Amino acid sequence: MADSAIHGHEHEDNRGFFTRWFMSTNHKDIGVLYLVVGGLAGFISVTFTVYMRLELMEPGVQYMCLEGARLLASAEECTPNGHLWNVLITGHGILMMFFVVIPALFGGFGNYFMPLHIGAPDMAFPRLNNLSFWLYVAGTSLAVASVMAPGGNDQLGSGVGWVLYPPLSTTEGGMSMDLAIFAVHVSGASSILGAINIITTFLNMRAPGMTLHKVPLFAWSIFVTAWLILLALPVLAGAITMLLTDRNFGTTFFDPSGGGDPILYQHILWFFGHPEVYIVIVPAFGIISHVISTFSRKPIFGYLPMVYAMVAIGGLGFVVWAHHMYTVGMSLTQQSYFMLATMVIAVPTGVKIFSWIATMWGGSVTFETPMLWAFGFLFLFTVGGVTGIVLSQAGVDRVYHDTYYVVAHFHYVMSLGAVFGIFAGIYYWFTKMTGRAYPEWAGKLHFWTFFIGANITFFPQHFLGRQGMPRRYIDYPEAFATWNYVSSIGAFISFASFLFFIGMIAYSLKFGRKVTTPAYWGDEQTLEWTLPNPPPEHTFEILPTQDQWDKQPHH
Amino acid sequence: MPVERDIDRTGAPGKTGALSRSAGDGGPDAPLYQVRLRPHRSLSRRGFATFIVITCLLLTLPLMALLGSAALWVLLPFLWIAVAGVWFAIHRSWDDGRLTEVLTLWPDRIRLHRENPRGAPQEWEANPYWTRLELHAEGGPVENYITLNGGGRCVELGAFLSPEERLDLHGELARILAGLDINARR
Repeated sequence: MADSAIHGHEHEDNRGFFTRWFMSTNHKDIGVLYLVVGGLAGFISVTFTVYMRLELMEPGVQYMCLEGARLLASAEECTPNGHLWNVLITGHGILMMFFVVIPALFGGFGNYFMPLHIGAPDMAFPRLNNLSFWLYVAGTSLAVASVMAPGGNDQLGSGVGWVLYPPLSTTEGGMSMDLAIFAVHVSGASSILGAINIITTFLNMRAPGMTLHKVPLFAWSIFVTAWLILLALPVLAGAITMLLTDRNFGTTFFDPSGGGDPILYQHILWFFGHPEVYIVIVPAFGIISHVISTFSRKPIFGYLPMVYAMVAIGGLGFVVWAHHMYTVGMSLTQQSYFMLATMVIAVPTGVKIFSWIATMWGGSVTFETPMLWAFGFLFLFTVGGVTGIVLSQAGVDRVYHDTYYVVAHFHYVMSLGAVFGIFAGIYYWFTKMTGRAYPEWAGKLHFWTFFIGANITFFPQHFLGRQGMPRRYIDYPEAFATWNYVSSIGAFISFASFLFFIGMIAYSLKFGRKVTTPAYWGDEQTLEWTLPNPPPEHTFEILPTQDQWDKQPHH
Repeated sequence: MPVERDIDRTGAPGKTGALSRSAGDGGPDAPLYQVRLRPHRSLSRRGFATFIVITCLLLTLPLMALLGSAALWVLLPFLWIAVAGVWFAIHRSWDDGRLTEVLTLWPDRIRLHRENPRGAPQEWEANPYWTRLELHAEGGPVENYITLNGGGRCVELGAFLSPEERLDLHGELARILAGLDINARR
């Protein structure tokens, strides 16, 4: 029998700053930590792009010189430094794919709101959660270190692209490449542990009566994401382990001289890589569903189709990987299959877009800041989806492969899709997480500057791609000058908007108006709206009763 | 956390502990009151099986693509670790949910049986007349810590419940134990 422990005394919670934020096992605190560190990594990654857009603004090389990288153009001699360029695109890709969007959406909002939505007191394994977070921080540090460590071409960093294709990655000199591989390993371990934790929490700790067909859509989206991570990340771990042994221990998995096959790496990488893009976007689907439902004052249209559309998108994500590599020399039959399978994804995606629009249909729609971001998401993600259908055709892809059209496509779905989802989530839940409101005008200004800036950045890249401008080059012929100039202007507008956002968050944290209404958007469909702003340290220690969350007429 | 009253034949609170021992349902040796305290778990065995089967099926996809290549053997352990990890985690979570405390009260005996997630079950028995029920609002390992003192030992009750649930439980037990007392002296 557990003998009473009444003699040990003074066990009250008086966590200091260090204990709370550095040794945290609380899902809400860890969620906030993920968002903050993801934001920091995002800032680093965004500064890379601003520097790259600066370089691409004019034909010729003005800033990334072998004589030394410059911030201001000057008349001095400048020998183009292609390695620096390659390092920056690689760093931007790796940071964004592994260390910014997944941690913010899945780690941040997933940790914070998924347990609240299902009425669980915390994650199933709180200490494992802490481990996941710190592995993520370690991975981010390794990734940043890899940019500054001795690498190929006797310079710093490695410039092989985020996909780490051999033989580039296996022959790149220095230790930078190894650091990058370790970074991806560590972040993969972090994501898998996080996914296991979230899957267990979702499956085993739902409030009584909350069957799988009654779970709020955001919690569903996080579960689908966790499942995708569990299935895809181990494959990536295997692939980059083989890269590591090829580099350091003389194996020849991907080296034809020893009987290996470099194309095999591409297959394995994209078997992970395609689900990865859904890992990035699916949590945004969840957030957008709640935002649209809230600001249309209607329950979401077609709840079950929405759930199964997410499941279908996740499932289809595993059988379409080779559409990233139509040009490697597959048979016609293989190409036809991957092309058709890819096009099928438009069906569940269409179901989602349709249901979001149908949710707004006949609702009393208002445009508070989160709804603006949701609208932006809807519009831009659809644009990105349509160019995706164009690219899915193997024949057309021959022309567009490795051009700026592809760059424009994946930035529309990820930079403008997932990132708009993140911002929608931040504005939707900022007051819930902090207890303070942001100035509404500032949120709207941020939206409009970012929406316009991002479109000016990426829309002209469609034109550049159609004109035939290839990706991943530091320089381009005069003929491409106009749209590159426009695109760079857009990038600067977006960056200014991002800086404004950081300033606004800092201001709101310190001086924002305090809000005490729990359901400050007037939406009471999910459980987080029953809690004060910010929620106390422990929530739902008493299981929520069904009438607290079961407000959907379709249940 | 669910607090389930399996048996409650102690009557309504207003009747100052009028124990209906002659009610006949269960005979004189049947317990008057039993409460079961346990954490909540929502996944069924069937649900677990479905989840693992789908996971494994999807994981065979990359393996099929790699049949006949040495890379298969590098990938395999990573996939195995992922399945084993989630399998272990869900079972661990179920195990943690096996924690159950059952408090049973007879006219002349009070028993607390605790199923532990790991390790042997624990038992405590005492005579209810000499059992002292205490609520430590402060100073315990948790807020509103409940202890039962009797049979030469002091044991805890429902330490995994929420503070409010413990407060309710204490009120209920205090009423029942007091009623038992009055009844016995009558």
